[in-house]
Amino acid sequence: MPDNASDWIAERRKAALEAYEAEPVPTWRRSGFWTTSLRNLDLDALEPRRYEPVGSEAELPAQVRDALDGEPGALIVQRGASTIYIDVDAELTAQGVIVMPLEQAVVEHGELVREHYMRRLSETEGKFPATTAAFWTGGVFIHVPANVRVEKPIQSVYAIDEPGTAQYAHTLVVLGENSECAIREYCLGADIDGQALHAGAFELYTAPGARAKVAHFQDWGRGEIYDISTKRVVIARDAFVSWVPVHLGGRLTKQTLDIITAEKGSDMRHTGLYFTERDEHLDLFTTDLHEAEHTTGDTVWKGALTGESRASYEGLIEIVEGAQESHTYLQTHQMLLSQRAKGDAIPSLIVKTDNVSASHGGTVGELDEDQIFYMMTRGISRIDAVRTLVEGYFEEVVQRLDDPGLETLIRRRIGEKLLAAEDQVKEFVGHRAGAAQEA
Amino acid sequence: MSLEIQNLHVRIEEREILRGLNLTVRKGETHALMGPNGSGKSTLANTIMGNPVYEVTDGKIIFNGEDLTEASPDERARSGLFMAFQYPATIPGVSVANFLRMAVNAKREEPIKVKEFGKLLGENMELLRIDRAFTSRYLNEGFSGGEKKRAEILQLAMLKPEIAVLDETDSGLDIDALRIVSDGVNALRGPEMGSLIITHYTRILDYVKPEFVHIMLDGRIVREGGPELATALEDTGYDQIREEVAAANAG
Repeated sequence: MPDNASDWIAERRKAALEAYEAEPVPTWRRSGFWTTSLRNLDLDALEPRRYEPVGSEAELPAQVRDALDGEPGALIVQRGASTIYIDVDAELTAQGVIVMPLEQAVVEHGELVREHYMRRLSETEGKFPATTAAFWTGGVFIHVPANVRVEKPIQSVYAIDEPGTAQYAHTLVVLGENSECAIREYCLGADIDGQALHAGAFELYTAPGARAKVAHFQDWGRGEIYDISTKRVVIARDAFVSWVPVHLGGRLTKQTLDIITAEKGSDMRHTGLYFTERDEHLDLFTTDLHEAEHTTGDTVWKGALTGESRASYEGLIEIVEGAQESHTYLQTHQMLLSQRAKGDAIPSLIVKTDNVSASHGGTVGELDEDQIFYMMTRGISRIDAVRTLVEGYFEEVVQRLDDPGLETLIRRRIGEKLLAAEDQVKEFVGHRAGAAQEA
Repeated sequence: MSLEIQNLHVRIEEREILRGLNLTVRKGETHALMGPNGSGKSTLANTIMGNPVYEVTDGKIIFNGEDLTEASPDERARSGLFMAFQYPATIPGVSVANFLRMAVNAKREEPIKVKEFGKLLGENMELLRIDRAFTSRYLNEGFSGGEKKRAEILQLAMLKPEIAVLDETDSGLDIDALRIVSDGVNALRGPEMGSLIITHYTRILDYVKPEFVHIMLDGRIVREGGPELATALEDTGYDQIREEVAAANAG
């Protein structure tokens, strides 16, 4: 580390390294058929890759250029282990907004970073949180000062476009009192031929009264990219965060996503979407944690599965002792579009106090033949009916993004995935129509 | 221009529901098909549209000279058949306007121009006294019974089929809604459209006057006639007809 001021981070890295060495590579098991294992990932063959910075957006990797939309207020791009591009609107800089690599922020904004860095994450949470805490490079730091309102979205990108890459990523977001902003974080992979790993940490802390829209857009492409990440959003008194994680691709994804209403009056809306295809494996665990009285939450997750993919969503509502008058709701839906896909969606509830309302619901199902028949009687072909129904199914969550640029991108990607899956979807619904006729 | 149903036998889960049904509906004609619960009315409507749940074991469905017995529901719709559902499906995430545009375009080579579609939709909504805000709602999601039926009639108006089957369109409607729906059907009646109104009760026939009435029992049509047949039915009820048919069969 360059100077004494950042000794503290060296200490944190050292502690993380110890935790990393003490932990074996985990296999995640749950009751039932579900196991997430890394046995097919050759970890030893992966290493951090460094890249030179680029001078303009036009030189960014293709998959990044393709996904980005509109005029961001700030854009920071990390490719492999290196930050390769930063562009922050002069207007934002004038407002005191900070967008820079976390490495740089440790040096230039040491006190602010130290106050929040891994406040609610821990290197002792497991092998991969420890790995990330020990080895992260580049990283992203975003700070919006008190009472500042940022109109244009602040965008960060983690990109992987070469096989053999290990990317250790850490994003820290600190939002000042009564600030307002929108943040989009993209995880984008090229269709690589080979393996890669993204081990990530994301932490966001609001001060009281802040309002933020946060989106995570993950599309690791058709290659063998593994994503093992922990993301945590912590909301202070009377603050509000709308958080939208979107998973549209990755060979194996294992993520822990927690949204914590930590102080009185904090409020959140959590909206998730996933679409798995081919042999992808997605394992998500979300917690809606209420730590204070008068907190509110509203969580909706929707997914669809094609191919031989596997997707498991487990969503927990936890209301701690003393968090009275909290109100929260979680619903999770999953739609199977192929005979060979397998999934589950499990909501659960731990309530340790009185005077709260917490409820959850979940469905796992297939497309409804009555809906398909109805649409066909209007002249719409079976495959168009299926496509429209799946798009309609996702529309509710897409609209909750409240971000037209990202909504367009997600609609487009879902459309492409449905088109790619057309044959199996046809076969699947055709098979079921045939079965119905035999019945 | 006609829909001909010839000796139709239909089964669902090993149970024979339609047992040799014959019926012809020509363009420009209005037919009422009446029968008690379980007589096979809805099975007939669904089979006309090709619902795969129902298996045709014998007989034919001929439309404009073409055998559609094996055709898929969307082919039937594109060739000019329409069904207004008793219990229309909910289509989440798809607005009434978008759904209508898809359905209209399904019948056309070139997609309809935005302006032309807007005009057509506006005219038909006025005809059916439907509020503009209605079209941005997701189709049938959270709709009242009356709104669902109105959405069905709006689709009928937009798609202009040659033959329309209205499956128990009057069920679950209060008198005002029934009148609005009936006015809509009456406004759409004409030499270009034939309709088959399927109903349990004679109520809707006070508003939409059929030229032909058919009475159905146990999967067959057992009585045919003009409007007077419906009036007579109101006095006698289905049981008496059932007894007469049984007696005739015994004799």
